[in-house]
Amino acid sequence: MPYDRDHVVLEPEQVTNVSSHEYPHHFPNEDPSGFGLEGFKKKLNIKVWRVSRDTMEFDLVGVDASLANAVRRILIAEVPTMAIRYVYVLNNTGIIQDEVLAHRLGLIPILAEPEMFNFKTADESPTDLNTIVFQMQVKCTRRPNDTVAADETDPDKLYVNSSVYSNALTWDPKGDQATRFADNPIRPVIDDILIAKLRPGQEINCELHCEKGIGADHAKWSPVATASYRLLPHIDIKQEITGDLADKFQKCFPPGVVEVVTEHGVKKAKVANHRKDTVSREVLRHKEFEGMVELKRVRDHFLFNIESTGIIPPPTLFVRAIRVLMNKCAVVKQAVEAIAPKDEDMQE
Amino acid sequence: MNAPDFYEMFTLPEGVKKVAVQLDPKQPNTAIFEVQKEDHTLGNILTKRLLKDKRVLFSGYQVPHPLEHKILIRVQTTDEVSPIEAVRDSISALLVELSNIRSKFEFDLARAKAEQEAMGTTEGAGPGAEHRHIYPKDSGADPTLDVNVDVDF
Repeated sequence: MPYDRDHVVLEPEQVTNVSSHEYPHHFPNEDPSGFGLEGFKKKLNIKVWRVSRDTMEFDLVGVDASLANAVRRILIAEVPTMAIRYVYVLNNTGIIQDEVLAHRLGLIPILAEPEMFNFKTADESPTDLNTIVFQMQVKCTRRPNDTVAADETDPDKLYVNSSVYSNALTWDPKGDQATRFADNPIRPVIDDILIAKLRPGQEINCELHCEKGIGADHAKWSPVATASYRLLPHIDIKQEITGDLADKFQKCFPPGVVEVVTEHGVKKAKVANHRKDTVSREVLRHKEFEGMVELKRVRDHFLFNIESTGIIPPPTLFVRAIRVLMNKCAVVKQAVEAIAPKDEDMQE
Repeated sequence: MNAPDFYEMFTLPEGVKKVAVQLDPKQPNTAIFEVQKEDHTLGNILTKRLLKDKRVLFSGYQVPHPLEHKILIRVQTTDEVSPIEAVRDSISALLVELSNIRSKFEFDLARAKAEQEAMGTTEGAGPGAEHRHIYPKDSGADPTLDVNVDVDF
């Protein structure tokens, strides 16, 4: 069997042909210039399939796994956002302890453009350029007796503020923040995130300071709910599958992957959509299909899925991730260039 | 209490060089680059990019310790080029490739958005709004475009 350089092969018990061999001198009589920029441009292909306010799916084709993985890692851990960093609890008589409350508050996505703020370094004090302040003052009280039924048990109907939601956070603009963010006031992305539950007489009163940070420090700064990729599945039918076997073959895959067509009165299995396959490998469990089908994945075809927390739209996220990666490269490039001349002496 | 400061992960301390080079005395044209405050994200793409250079004989990286935020990249080249030049060239190539990816992405995003508008669907209106797809189900549009990936990832 000739060597298949484009596919990862999925066998019943193992995955083979995993690593890429797209390097010079790996195949005879190959032009090494194909590994330069022109070759890269020729192979590269990007197709956006679907974009919504907070999800996006696109294909990244023709790049090495290392690049796709770098982008994924940066999306999760290195694109900055604003999140609640300090909680100054003035009063908390609720059942949720201060530290648990602070943790829950930290995880609330804050709708604020991170590029409008600076990172606050360890020795800096808070200013309107690096900190956002929220106030949260809620007190649970009983509703007047004549407004609720005598046998009412629902706390929402019995009490006011029995559940504290993220809309309890009120933005406290500092400096010129009120004018800078006039057309898009800073607020939690989602208004109905449950923070705590209270009972009559209990109250929470605290001041919250948001700072800019990255997901590598704490997951609350991660701008994505998920950012993942998978390789495009490829079902290779080696030998015609006909008759009732075709129906059985179809049932081995999720709906829409395989279709059974009738050609000259004979039923025949055909792959309709590789992309919908989950690569469950069910088909490999059946003896009758042995040697008839090979399950593969295309090694350089990445199906990216980005789900934002709602702070930054997914297309912007991807562009920012690329920019973070380019910055990294630029910094290292500069550092390498700075040592380059010394290299000549060291060669001696 | 004795937890390391969070910024140690990505802030270069004063007086420390981002990249330091050590030539391998036992092997010709071989250098080990110590890159501070970087991890697999950069190490992997850089070594893989170096391998695409036909003048590079070996490239690999390691993260010596999970609590030390640095990587070691080992590069061996033929005598056509020094390891430092090879790294510089590879990183320049990476920068060009990345800007290529960005422009291609922005180009296709514009296409996708135009198609979405043509089909009369708009982006989600506000928080909690239902996700609207560029290619809605049962839209009757070009079936080759209609790839509702309702598959579990």
